[in-house]
Amino acid sequence: MGLDGIIILDNNGRPIIQSGFRSSTTVYPLLHIDAVNNALEKAERPADVDPVLYIPNTTDVSSACCHVQAGDLRFLCPVSGDVDPLLAFAFLQTFIDILREYLGTVSAATLRDNFDIVYQLFEETLDVGGHPLTTYPNALRDIVIPPSLMNKLLSVTGTNFNSTINSGFGAGAAAGPFSSPIPWRKTGVRYNNNEIYFDIVEHLKAIVNKNGVTLSSNVHGKIEANAKLSGTPDCSLSFTNPQVLYDCALHPCIRLLRWNRDKVLSFVPPDGRFTLMDYTYSSQSPNSPLPTSPNVALPFVIKPNIELEDSGGSFDVTLTSRYSTHALENVVAELHLGQGAGGIRCSVSRGSGGGGFINAAESRNSGSSGGSNRASWSFDAQRMILRWEIQIVPPSSSWSLHGSFVTANRAPRPSHAIRVCFDISSHTYSALKVGQLKVTNAKENYKPYKGVRGRSSGEVEWRW
Amino acid sequence: MSVDYLNAITENASRLGMRIQESLSEHTREMNLSRTSASYFEADDKGKNIRKQLDSSSDREKLDAMKRLIALISKGRNVSEYFAQVVKNVASQNLEIRKLVYIYVLRYAEQEPDLALLSINTFQKDLNDSNPFIRAMALRVLSGIRVPMVGNIVVLAIKKCAADFSPYVRKVAALAIPKCYQLDDSHLPSLIETINKMLNDTSPLSIGSVAVAFEAVCPTRLDLIHQRYRRLCKLLVEVDEWGKVDLLHLLLRYARTMLPKPIINSDGEEVDQDIELLLSSVEPLLQSRNPAVILAAAQIFWYTGPPSVHGKVVRPLLRLLQTSKEVERVTLSYIRVLARTDPSLFSPYFVRFFMLLDDSRQVKAEKIKLLVSLINYENHQSIFRELIEHTADPNDEVVADCIAAIGKCAELIPEATQTCLSALTEMIKSNHDVVVSNAILVLKQLVQAQLSQKSNITSSTNGSRSALKIISSLAHRIDDIRHPQARACVIWLVGQYCASDQASSGIAGMAEWAPDVLRRTAKHFSTEDVLVKLQIITLAAKLLVLNSTEQTLALLNRYVFSLARYDLNYDVRDRARMLSSLLAGLTSVSLDYDDELTAAEERGGVVLRAEQVKVILFNGKVNVTNKDRSEPSNVIIGSSAIITGKPTLNDNMIPDWLEEGVESALRDSPDDALSAPVPVLSVSSADPLNNPSNMMVSDQNVGKPSPTVPNGRKWASNLDDFFNEEDTNEDDESSEEDEDEDGDGEEDGEEADAVEDSIEGHDEEEISSEDDSENGEEEHDPAQHNVLRS
Repeated sequence: MGLDGIIILDNNGRPIIQSGFRSSTTVYPLLHIDAVNNALEKAERPADVDPVLYIPNTTDVSSACCHVQAGDLRFLCPVSGDVDPLLAFAFLQTFIDILREYLGTVSAATLRDNFDIVYQLFEETLDVGGHPLTTYPNALRDIVIPPSLMNKLLSVTGTNFNSTINSGFGAGAAAGPFSSPIPWRKTGVRYNNNEIYFDIVEHLKAIVNKNGVTLSSNVHGKIEANAKLSGTPDCSLSFTNPQVLYDCALHPCIRLLRWNRDKVLSFVPPDGRFTLMDYTYSSQSPNSPLPTSPNVALPFVIKPNIELEDSGGSFDVTLTSRYSTHALENVVAELHLGQGAGGIRCSVSRGSGGGGFINAAESRNSGSSGGSNRASWSFDAQRMILRWEIQIVPPSSSWSLHGSFVTANRAPRPSHAIRVCFDISSHTYSALKVGQLKVTNAKENYKPYKGVRGRSSGEVEWRW
Repeated sequence: MSVDYLNAITENASRLGMRIQESLSEHTREMNLSRTSASYFEADDKGKNIRKQLDSSSDREKLDAMKRLIALISKGRNVSEYFAQVVKNVASQNLEIRKLVYIYVLRYAEQEPDLALLSINTFQKDLNDSNPFIRAMALRVLSGIRVPMVGNIVVLAIKKCAADFSPYVRKVAALAIPKCYQLDDSHLPSLIETINKMLNDTSPLSIGSVAVAFEAVCPTRLDLIHQRYRRLCKLLVEVDEWGKVDLLHLLLRYARTMLPKPIINSDGEEVDQDIELLLSSVEPLLQSRNPAVILAAAQIFWYTGPPSVHGKVVRPLLRLLQTSKEVERVTLSYIRVLARTDPSLFSPYFVRFFMLLDDSRQVKAEKIKLLVSLINYENHQSIFRELIEHTADPNDEVVADCIAAIGKCAELIPEATQTCLSALTEMIKSNHDVVVSNAILVLKQLVQAQLSQKSNITSSTNGSRSALKIISSLAHRIDDIRHPQARACVIWLVGQYCASDQASSGIAGMAEWAPDVLRRTAKHFSTEDVLVKLQIITLAAKLLVLNSTEQTLALLNRYVFSLARYDLNYDVRDRARMLSSLLAGLTSVSLDYDDELTAAEERGGVVLRAEQVKVILFNGKVNVTNKDRSEPSNVIIGSSAIITGKPTLNDNMIPDWLEEGVESALRDSPDDALSAPVPVLSVSSADPLNNPSNMMVSDQNVGKPSPTVPNGRKWASNLDDFFNEEDTNEDDESSEEDEDEDGDGEEDGEEADAVEDSIEGHDEEEISSEDDSENGEEEHDPAQHNVLRS
């Protein structure tokens, strides 16, 4: 009963590293690996594989395999008995985050380079009985030393500075593992420059119907923080407009009572990067919590003109920015053309509007040649997706994609929606404003540098 | 402070410098900065040196060897042969080495119990180390060595660590308890005692693990919780994420077994204060960032709270949909289970379940089911439009799901039936086979449902008229319907429902469009699919029964039957032969050219009258209402059975409410009254079985069965009930499956035939048995007639 372990597969479906599986037979992990590989082979696209696979077992307890894709790896978490798959996914996500923190990028290569670290992390994060142990990155860093160049150098020269500290000598003597009274923050943190940064990141998800009416739109935001503060700082962050925040999910460090009472985030931050809170942007009053009516104006309009005929079709899509101050960046529009599509002929062009407008984004890119050169298209023949990329869409400019395609089947079957992803820098939909950030520290007196910035992205499905 | 710090740094730096210098001089030749762990991983050394390295005096060599061993383990190699050498290093001063040794020892201890015993002394010594990490590590290895001999030592170690001042060590001690129990259950009494003590732990870090131990070792001893219940509730907010999940499960079980069920009556709800305490302590947890915590909290609200608080779980669950694709898929299934009991909670949020392009197959399927279950009069148009839009999905299964869902919506919202029918008829024009065939299947179900309503109410309703209109429009468009299944289905519909008493310009006794369908399909008979051919001859037979005097029809029939008689497919030939003998008595025009020569009396066998044939052909099948294969109602959210669709043996179960709960005074803890802690210990740690006075106390307090032993029984009887329930459920399910299979058969457009076949086959048997007797005695006939009449 519980989470039986973790198996990491490379992109060929071969296991690279797996944790102990001491409480089960040796075939047990193999059954799970096979099940995942078989399912992947059968599925039309990898995303269609059910993330929870039932594994019929010869023994008395049936099991399920929960798996997640991360980079070029697939993480498997077999669970036996009746365990909530959400527990497995929550744990896998935590584990992947920890790996990311330790190794920078999570890939087959970095895992191979640091397999001993990964093994130690397996041991420390998951108990043999199937229950998560230590998952606070700050606490973990005390017991599993992150690989760094310094560390590598030392291990080559045969010295281990950090482990010496851990054994109870040197400067960290007082700061041995698990000596901190606050589980998410280690003691004895010291910085020459004390700084704390907050990124307010918002993501819009919307569906627009054939007539250009927004069917649903949701903005989810999170506040990412990077704390580099000495000692045990106590922060309190208040907003000028906390009423836009709904459905909040808070980092365990936040004092719930303060938040629920005064809408002030009061916390002792962990050291380093962490997500302070997640929220949903909503402008309704809490008395009528019906988020059905769209409350965010979409940043652009699309006029899709797609015609299907026998064995092919033609399209003429225009995208016009609705914003007058912010530029849309990294705009990617995707259209799935359906099985057997090919023979694509396309042209991209920049229409009128916004031409004379010089904004920050444009001047930043003044080096590159202007006009339609920054828009391009490509066709992914494996996924049958036509991609239209525009690096920067200046305010109120308009762009168009024009072309045709043929299909092997008589009746073309493209998906009836265009999916558009984009980023907007220095902008938030909710206009959430930080009112004040107070950092108090009982022992040391320092004035940290504080920074806040906003960033947003979006994903809109425009049906036609 | 900072001076100390500086000193420490300089001290360390100089130490480091010295060490580096030493090592540099020692290993200059091997110095190679680019070398990473990967070389351990890739190098396929046979490990000749490992033994030597492990025995060497240099930490660096040992570390190198250990890494090499771990690399071999992860390659799946069995490296247990080095156990003896490795065990020697358990006492290494280098923490790095020690950790790797622990990993190794844990993996192979079971295979090498004797050698593992050698290391036990070291671990026991480590239990006294000043570093809590070392103490915890030692206990983990000790409890991980699965050698029954060490059981006593482990119990002692657990006891010792359970009282450790570091909560981390206590946490590890609690997690070691189930392992120890598994190894040797004779330690149960002392383990329960330890758990009992640990339940008083006030550290939020370890209490979750204590709950784990409790559930694993003594789940029936809920009496131990009584006095801790309120404290646990209050502690809940502080507990770490994973501990919250475990503690919530325990509290849920406790509440269901021990607390009075909320009473809902006309004046409102009556909720016990202890349940209120639980709910108010759990509410902040709905703001957790961890999906597992949110779900565990939602379980508490849903399964212990009165209906008025159920709404609180809605938005937190909806928020989970954004977390990740995997979490979304699981949460959708849970929401579907909840929406089944109370759709009104989720129906305002139906737009959240609109489908996206990159949703996986399962997510789309779940969303479609959810949309159907959330449909009501206000939102049916939007949901309808959404479903209709997704009939253009590139995935065939999604299309089928959508169209079936449209049909279901039409049943649920009678006002929408017209819109639905027109949408479906529109789909029949599509040039995608999947759309057409699915649309026709659903149309057929709707038409049948409407017509069966008519037969129930007797007076012909609007519905049945419109249903006939649909059939007639389908009949007119028969040439456009190309998909064989769909075509077969339409032809069957035409034959089944063409009977009409109204005078029309066409042939009497049937709707005017029916013979035309036969004419048009007969033209292409030879190129049709087998399915369609079977239906064409059935249609021909039905029309002939309705009007056996019309000459053109008879000729058409004769044409079709003669084509069928020489068809390549034996099913078609069989069917034609059977039908033609069935119809033998009806018409003067023989259906077989060959038979023209044979005299009617020479054919032998039974000749049926028109009414009899009609019964056989038309009433062959009862309207099949396709029922949803409903899932067992006792599944609870948080159970993987919902996701996999397979019942797990040890299902998560929610105990039934105890109508009145146990006396709330039991939960009055002396802690609350600020009395001395001594009595707490004496009461709580005493083994109730050996302590009659304690039993007495509880008996007096409860005034009903004492909570200790009878609770165990209650639990067990629940188990029985549960399995009984499951059994019956399984029965239900299998019977539903049977029905389903019928339904499937129907969807093939062949169902009528299937049933007809069974009846006709029966006839045939009798007929053939008479054929055997060649000059069959005439006496048999009346008997046959009687049988058929009855």
